[in-house]
Amino acid sequence: MGNKKIKHTSNGNRSRNGNSRPKAPILAKAARNGAPKAGAIGSAQGKNGAPKAESANGSGLRTYSIPDYRLEHPDYSVRQLVEKDKDGTQHVRYEVSGDLDAPVPPIRESKYLDKRQAIEIYRYMLLNRKMEIALENLYKQGKVVGGVYFGLGQEACSCASAYALDKDDWFAPMIRNQGSLLVRGFGASDTMMQYMAKADSPTKGRDGTSHFGDIEKRNMVSPISMLGDLIPVMAGVALGARLQGRNLAVMTYIGDGGQSTGVTYEGINFAAVQNLGLVLVVESNLWAYSTPSEMQYRCKDLAERAIGYGIPSVIVDGTDACQVYDASHEAVERAHRGEGPTMIEAKMMRMKGHAIHDAAAYVPKPMFEFWKRRDPIARLENYLVRDKKWLSAKENEKLIAEVDRIIEQEREIAVNSPMPTPESAEGGVFCEDGCHEIKPKYAMPKVKKGSAAYKETEAAAHFK
Amino acid sequence: MQLTYLEAIRQGIWEEMENDPTVFCLGEDIGIYGGAFKVTDGFIDRFGAERVIDTPIAESAIVGAAFGASLTGMRPVAEFQFMDFIGCAFNQISNMVAKTHYLWGAPAPLVLRGPSGGYVHGGPFHSQNPEMWFVHNPGLKVICPATPYDAKGLIKAAIRDSNPCVFFEHKYLYRRIKEEVPSDDYIVPIGKARIAREGRDLSVITYAAMVHTALEAADLLAKEGIDLEILDLRTVSPLDREAIAQTVKKTNKVIILHEHSRTGGLAGEIAAIINEEAFDDLDGPIVRIAGLDSAIPFSPPQELHYLPKLEDVIREARKLKAY
Repeated sequence: MGNKKIKHTSNGNRSRNGNSRPKAPILAKAARNGAPKAGAIGSAQGKNGAPKAESANGSGLRTYSIPDYRLEHPDYSVRQLVEKDKDGTQHVRYEVSGDLDAPVPPIRESKYLDKRQAIEIYRYMLLNRKMEIALENLYKQGKVVGGVYFGLGQEACSCASAYALDKDDWFAPMIRNQGSLLVRGFGASDTMMQYMAKADSPTKGRDGTSHFGDIEKRNMVSPISMLGDLIPVMAGVALGARLQGRNLAVMTYIGDGGQSTGVTYEGINFAAVQNLGLVLVVESNLWAYSTPSEMQYRCKDLAERAIGYGIPSVIVDGTDACQVYDASHEAVERAHRGEGPTMIEAKMMRMKGHAIHDAAAYVPKPMFEFWKRRDPIARLENYLVRDKKWLSAKENEKLIAEVDRIIEQEREIAVNSPMPTPESAEGGVFCEDGCHEIKPKYAMPKVKKGSAAYKETEAAAHFK
Repeated sequence: MQLTYLEAIRQGIWEEMENDPTVFCLGEDIGIYGGAFKVTDGFIDRFGAERVIDTPIAESAIVGAAFGASLTGMRPVAEFQFMDFIGCAFNQISNMVAKTHYLWGAPAPLVLRGPSGGYVHGGPFHSQNPEMWFVHNPGLKVICPATPYDAKGLIKAAIRDSNPCVFFEHKYLYRRIKEEVPSDDYIVPIGKARIAREGRDLSVITYAAMVHTALEAADLLAKEGIDLEILDLRTVSPLDREAIAQTVKKTNKVIILHEHSRTGGLAGEIAAIINEEAFDDLDGPIVRIAGLDSAIPFSPPQELHYLPKLEDVIREARKLKAY
């Protein structure tokens, strides 16, 4: 064993104060904390995103900052108010105070999107909204089993983020990301059939909503109802792919409510220490069911959490598709370069109740009015038609009519699918022989083995 | 080769990693330290840090990451330092991993393994037998080997299986038993019980460390002319219903023996299977010997009182023989 070679490995060999320079790409501190590369997140100035806990002499001066792509910073806050009615009975409600009359900002010019791409995102956002309107109608006709969840007001966040992924990248939606599914190539009928519990739904009736996946073609992991669990799972997808020689971006979402779970911390931290290409879109939509974000977390912006994980983050206006796309694109590029996870906080508001049964009476009306003026589709439409003149009024009308036609076709497919037979509840609990071939999706991992041979453990050798 | 129970598991994982580049290990302190019980000792030197990953202390992340990697066709083997800590990852296992194939058709070929069981004075958080938490989760295979031969054959079978397997290693057995284990490649099929001892008078259905308690009781009882048959379940989910029915049909009397708490324990399920498959063959009541309905206490006299003992088996066997 005389000729000892020192190799840097994926674990443990990492400087805490910036003095050493690990060589393995998955460890390289410079890359982890934003190497001088194109794009704004984790970029050349070195002041973006990740903690800069080191100075030239490693004295530990911290200069954190988080890029903010927004063109406005809404200034209001929500608090609980105790009131007495005429009879002296006490009532508690939420009240908003602050500047709720601020003018709507313009769309921020994208650094990356061209005309065709911008129109395509707009089209997906229209599909997203009109699919949900169709679902609402199906619900009113009694055709939906259970409730309907909406992404109203969040279409830019869902569609523009998923649009930034490459075909080989993976993603996992949460309940309000039904638009992301359309971007990734699922039909609107897939989601509609899920809601109607139909035999031809992707889960063949076994689950509803956006709870389905596809590991063959569309690289989508099915969500579960418990919040945050997808984050380590997506990190694991990136880990599996990296062992097969690929740096993939793996995107998933978490709300301002969901981020309160412990597994959210575990998942981001795991992705951070392993330097995996997680792109976590934090949907800061102000209401977690009926609980305002003020009662969910104390820090100013959820993007600040990234500092504690040692990863970069960025804040965007979630109703501005161009900002969402640009931040997502940069995060995806970082992931492809093997530079690790990125957190994107998209600020917006959930514009309906938690689900269709919930009238959201707890939301102060002025907040709805404020965010209604910032409708992501109206804003993008205005940008494409009036500001950029990439769409004429006529072309826009044509595009909307085409989307209506598609949704009607998809609705027909979904409605005409039969209900599953009762017996189809059985089977499929296990992967039986021949139902799936387990093989590496990208390539057989290249294995480098050390010279250490198998020998019995010391404890075992001492066995008497 | 004579191998301990621990060494057999270690060799099984080692061989699978040698033969299949998609197999990798992750867990707490499994790298340079080699794991709290040294099951992965020396692995990092042979297979490298990419395939032997020391993780943060975050069980949900460990299971989640193993599951995610399995979706890309890898075969992760995740270690729990003690199986008691699997509770920290319960949601991830129960709601994410176990349901995945049934709900959306994605196979999850991963192994969750670690030490469980009492008799080592580990206290309430290092001595539990939490296998029943997972038996009640359709979609998981739950494996509890009793011998070095089975431990090696079953860990290899679990790694090669297309489904999530929860593999309970009994820490009392780790270095206390040794037997001849063949050096050629073999597996022990999941879901198949084995007769650990043939007998005429009554059957003891059990698994893991309790197999050895039953064997010891059988030797002593043989001197009194009581001939025990011992069925080692090896896998507790899915249960080998046929083997359970067969031994009852043969001896007509049955004791079910396990370490974990009596109420809601495996014995209740096995009694129900006997009721369904071999009710007419019974010549006596089904007897349960199990842990108390409490947490498993720390102090040795208390722990021993909680756990099934040799005397319990002897006493109950005599009573049932005489019934």
